[in-house]
Amino acid sequence: MSLLTKKDLDEIKEKGLKSSYPERTKIAVGMSTCGRASGAEEVLQAIEKEARSLGLDIISTSTGCMGLCQREPLVDVIKPGWPRIVYQQMDVKKSKEIVAALAENKIIPKYALCKIEEEPHLFENTTHAYKLNGLPEGMGNVPSYKDVPFFGKQKKRVLQGCGTLNPDKVEDYIAFGGYTALFKALKELDPKMVIDEVTTSGLRGRGGAGFPTGRKWSFCREAKGEPKYVICNADEGDPGAYMDRSILEGNPHQVIEGMIIGAYAIGARHGVVYARAEYPLAIEKLTLALEQARGLGLLGNDILHSGFDFDVSIERGSGAFVCGEETALIASIEGTTGEPRQRPPFPAQKGLWEKPTNINNVKTWANIPLIIARGADWFKEIGTEKSKGTMIFSMVGKVKMNGLVEVPMGMTLRELVFDVGGGVPDKRAFKAVQTGGPSGGCIPDSLMDLPVDYDKLAEVGSIMGSGGMVVMDETACMVNVAKYFLAFTKDESCGKCTPCREGTKRMLDILTDITEGRGREGDIELLEDMGRIIIDSALCALGGTAPNPALTTIRYFREEYEEHIRNRRCPAGVCKGLFEFFIDPETCIGCGRCLRDCPSNAITGEKKKAHTLDVAKCIQCGICRETCPSNAVRVK
Amino acid sequence: MVVGAGIGGIQASLDLANSGFKVYLVEEEPTIGGRMAQLDKTFPTNDCSMCIISPKLVECGGHPNIENLTYSDLIDLKGEPGNFKASIRRRARSVDESLCTGCGECINQCLVGNRVYLDVKVVEPVLPEDERMAVNEILDKHKKSRSPLIPVLQDINSHFNYLPPPVLKYVAYKLNVSLAHILRVATFYAFFSLEPRGKHIISVCMGTACHVRGGERILEKLEDELGIKYGQTTEDKNFSLDMVRCIGCCALSPVIRVDERVYSRVRYNTVMDVVSKYG
Repeated sequence: MSLLTKKDLDEIKEKGLKSSYPERTKIAVGMSTCGRASGAEEVLQAIEKEARSLGLDIISTSTGCMGLCQREPLVDVIKPGWPRIVYQQMDVKKSKEIVAALAENKIIPKYALCKIEEEPHLFENTTHAYKLNGLPEGMGNVPSYKDVPFFGKQKKRVLQGCGTLNPDKVEDYIAFGGYTALFKALKELDPKMVIDEVTTSGLRGRGGAGFPTGRKWSFCREAKGEPKYVICNADEGDPGAYMDRSILEGNPHQVIEGMIIGAYAIGARHGVVYARAEYPLAIEKLTLALEQARGLGLLGNDILHSGFDFDVSIERGSGAFVCGEETALIASIEGTTGEPRQRPPFPAQKGLWEKPTNINNVKTWANIPLIIARGADWFKEIGTEKSKGTMIFSMVGKVKMNGLVEVPMGMTLRELVFDVGGGVPDKRAFKAVQTGGPSGGCIPDSLMDLPVDYDKLAEVGSIMGSGGMVVMDETACMVNVAKYFLAFTKDESCGKCTPCREGTKRMLDILTDITEGRGREGDIELLEDMGRIIIDSALCALGGTAPNPALTTIRYFREEYEEHIRNRRCPAGVCKGLFEFFIDPETCIGCGRCLRDCPSNAITGEKKKAHTLDVAKCIQCGICRETCPSNAVRVK
Repeated sequence: MVVGAGIGGIQASLDLANSGFKVYLVEEEPTIGGRMAQLDKTFPTNDCSMCIISPKLVECGGHPNIENLTYSDLIDLKGEPGNFKASIRRRARSVDESLCTGCGECINQCLVGNRVYLDVKVVEPVLPEDERMAVNEILDKHKKSRSPLIPVLQDINSHFNYLPPPVLKYVAYKLNVSLAHILRVATFYAFFSLEPRGKHIISVCMGTACHVRGGERILEKLEDELGIKYGQTTEDKNFSLDMVRCIGCCALSPVIRVDERVYSRVRYNTVMDVVSKYG
């Protein structure tokens, strides 16, 4: 059927609400890539099998990732009369237990992560409150969603649907108010009004550079040439960032809706999603969602009787980081090597097949339906002066709560890492946080009170990037981190322009020398000098930001570089041959984990007595330090 | 003889010519100068590239010891150091070079857009029947696409587990693109392999989060245990070892992927238990 009127949409919405909040018990398993990697498929099977054998009438279904990937597999139980209960770190055994408990109208509080009493439906500014009656024993011991610091401090907008709705069902998205923004745009607004709304909202490109989205759209709209194209950049190559994957896997319709509205505003008739080949599940979910949208007449000819035609196709990437750069991405869609070209002309003038093209990131597109549905003023309510709305970070590395977080722009890094993320685990000291992936920089403890937005991060030499955020503790060597990123950019440099191709290689050579004890006086200055030249002369943003990791680590951790060069010592204990491990007898609790895990049998000791490490046998792999629960393995 | 009249070839010719040798400078393009003549600045000093190259162009063009053979191909080379015999084919310019002033007027006047028409016979490369069927099916699937090459290569790569060169020749013929272009695309993207790969592909994630949590050690362990380096395949063709730049499971790092399945929080001591499940 084709949707034509608001009434048609409301009918599907009714259906969606019934499937989202059914009158029977529903169990939803988080089946994103992270859930599957933790065994969600086995968990779902076990739940279905156990329910069958107990004769329990349940609806088993899947959902996306609600952000706390570290605690996957997450299993939601939605039983009439109860709040939504989220169980964490499920396995086959535990999931059978919760089904068995469910059969007796019980819950298992110790496995529960939290309970959700109400869910906002942002598009229409309503809230679904779970009706409560006959609560089981132990419900009081389960913390509320908003009392879990990881969730409570967040401001979920784009991610609201991920982990709540079923990405395979378009009616679930519509139940949340999905596609109402499209109705509003196509029926009530003309293209210029849509662009004005986006411009007023102050939305900036979420791919990293932060260019105002409304202005980008109007450039493309005004450019001469037909047909025009819109592209969704889902080539999330940034190591350490995966929110685009999560959105596409958990709520693909929101991105599609954003693209349709954008195409309407710009006057484009074709859309392309360029997705990474490494994300097969995201491509699968998106393909299904596109088919559903076509089935409802939300893509195709004469959408909602407005005379507007639009369709979207998917192009898979082939594993080249540089294809995230817009001109390289276009070259790749055109079937050639993904090498960037000189700008101008910008894609808005000459893009795909030399026609005006507008490229936005997945997150930018996903913000659009919210802005249209709720208005620019609502969107602007949160954020800083120049960066409005929320930003999604994938906070990973040495932090207690690993996962995706969506916070208002302007939250300080300290709040993010210590309040939302819970700080550094294993009694270790915080050292730095890396934002923006290979294009960004490392920010030290002294700058942690910085409010995060595009401009503030740029001031300290890093970038917002696509939202990757890797937390590092005292066991990270900053020279090694810089070396890691330069090795990455060296490998991923397309080789078209000399500064990037040769420059990253030479910087990497110098960094390798430093980490292997061959550093020389003057190396630091040489790195700084080369870095500046590469930034000035590289063709595209990959080269133009490649020196950032090295330059920021030099800026904030210069003494660590000097220690490597002058004293041939790696104080963090990472660069092999430049340090020695020892076990601190005061703190060692004699648990024997290091002894068990050591691949070179360098550790000896009796249970419950302090162990000793034989430096002659030690291969400095660092496994003992990783497994030690009491932080007793130290660097001399 | 110097082959290639880029900045390197020009400088070599000048050095030789100034030392008294007669130099033949062979270049396939109609002009000498190469890439550097197209650049604005040079790395790392940001010097102006035209200022470097143009005096050399003039010197090379007029040097009595240098004979410029532009628009020419080296088609055969025999012999040994000190005694080479080279065959060079000069392409037809249809212009008397001794009279030409390089004004460019003929290009503007040319009715056929300055194109060379050659009568080259192209023969369809032969593939075994089953391979031909499979490739044709893939080609058919993407025939509506405006730029089918990359999707076709992706499908061939997953069907054959790599890109077999005879298949590429066939694709070049069918899509009417040059094999050189296909190879350029195939070697540019990390996803493609020109070597046969193992039955199971182990990809160790080298994203930042995995790096911080010891992904490199996992790779080392796998390299030791399987006796291969990354990018290689075991002798029994069961495993290929690869690196991947982030699978997007950063919260569960370090992760590896075997074929399509992702394994989270793998450990140095237990990673082989995961891999050995695949024989």
